[in-house]
Amino acid sequence: MKKLIYLVFVLLLFNPTFILGAEGFLEAPVIPQGTAIEKSDARLELKIGLSHEEVLSFYKEALKGLDDIKFREWKDVTYIEDDGSRPWHSITISKGDQKETHIIIVKDNWTWIIGTLVLRYVGVFVVLMVLFLGMSASGKIISGSMKKIEGQKAAGK
Amino acid sequence: MTVDEILDMLYGTLRTTGIYNFQWNIIVMWGVGCLFIYLAIAKKYEPLLLLPIGFGIFIVNFPLVPLMGYEHGHAQLLQVFYHYGLEWEVIPCVIFLGLGAMTDFGPLIANPKTLLVGAGAQLGVFITFTGTVLVGFTLKEAASVGIIGGADGPTTIYLTQHLAPQLLGPNALAAYSYMAMVPLIQPPIMKLMTNKEERKIRMHQLRPVSRQEKLLFPLVTAGIIALLVPSVIPLMGMFMLGNLMKESGVVGRLTETAQGSLMNIVTIFLGVSVGATMHADKFLSWKPLFIFSLGLIDFAVCTIGGILTVKIMNLFLKDKINPLIGSAGVSAVPMAARVSQVQGLRYDKTNHLLMHAMGPNLAGVIGSAAAAGMFIAMFD
Repeated sequence: MKKLIYLVFVLLLFNPTFILGAEGFLEAPVIPQGTAIEKSDARLELKIGLSHEEVLSFYKEALKGLDDIKFREWKDVTYIEDDGSRPWHSITISKGDQKETHIIIVKDNWTWIIGTLVLRYVGVFVVLMVLFLGMSASGKIISGSMKKIEGQKAAGK
Repeated sequence: MTVDEILDMLYGTLRTTGIYNFQWNIIVMWGVGCLFIYLAIAKKYEPLLLLPIGFGIFIVNFPLVPLMGYEHGHAQLLQVFYHYGLEWEVIPCVIFLGLGAMTDFGPLIANPKTLLVGAGAQLGVFITFTGTVLVGFTLKEAASVGIIGGADGPTTIYLTQHLAPQLLGPNALAAYSYMAMVPLIQPPIMKLMTNKEERKIRMHQLRPVSRQEKLLFPLVTAGIIALLVPSVIPLMGMFMLGNLMKESGVVGRLTETAQGSLMNIVTIFLGVSVGATMHADKFLSWKPLFIFSLGLIDFAVCTIGGILTVKIMNLFLKDKINPLIGSAGVSAVPMAARVSQVQGLRYDKTNHLLMHAMGPNLAGVIGSAAAAGMFIAMFD
């Protein structure tokens, strides 16, 4: 009996769903029935035998009332993002399969912050570069047409 | 009537006064309010805004004043201004309408490559964002603080109201204070970032810009911004509408109203509402103080970003650009352009840079709006 209890205890201890169900991952809520596919300090991927809607409603309830949480509905996933200062950055919930849903929880990381900042700084250049091209093109078209009109006027005289 | 009853009456009356409800921290806020009123009157630093802001700070920091709360379900006076003007994001957009009606985009149209300087000068916005996150601000707060370096008051207010309304007062105050101090902040950086030869670079006279080009500019710009950063189209759309009204020449009365009376009216509401958000309970914490200190670095890095962009552009250009106009890439129209002019004249008394600097200066307005749009898109 003792051996059996010990075995059950060890199995529970090394079963991620047991651990995660009790504590969550990086303070992000985790559905207890989930099975971990991949786990590191910065990322947890789970699969669960629930539909996307059921998982989503769990997270909507679990994150209800929290500030700086954003739900983004994309074509193939629901992306939950934390813009506050929580240890986790995002929870991605897969769509499409009614019987099984994949959940990925990612740690808040500086790679994302710096990456998105660089991208957006470049984005400002892109916006103004496009404007530059638009202005240059429209300027040339207008100057050209003005010259043409003036030429026609001069020829008419 | 007994003595006790009289004392009770007196006590009851006293409880309705501010004296009974006095808190010592509000004295600090009186000082802050009076400081900005002083800067506006005595130093003439952005007086149109700092004066009503200073008074707003002063007047809301008295106990029991019915200004920024709700009474019997009705908003009180300054709360009404704040709610409809700022929470609804109306005032910054109306100010942009007026600014558009005042602005001549000719220098930018004549030399469109200076648009890139306006983009380069947003460097500080993104670097400050990182620094602000490091000290514990949320991402949204960091974005709203970062945009201060763009030196564009309405854009700062618009973005802050959108992402972190709790920082509206400190952010707006930091933006307008540092904008007023552009002539003090920028020259040492300009000197540090350039050598004598660069400061003496002469630029070709700008080509004349036709009326047709000026008419087309607001439409092209509004279209491109709407396609690429739609989230800032309330600001940029109004900016371009004001400019189209001006350049069309057919709606003189509307143009005059937009750049005159309307602008003045909303400026009063803006200033006093921003000031009114700064109650001692909210303002006296480390965050506003940090915003003020970081705002200065933000401005400095934006100035460096503009100058560096010109220097990089010069590596590829045949007709070199004087890097002194790079600092004008922070918005602060037209003060930053004037700083470039003054600094240029210091090194060559016949080198007038004002019109050349207006290009990056106006590009800075578009650039900071684009940066704000990037942040809004990031969080919405």
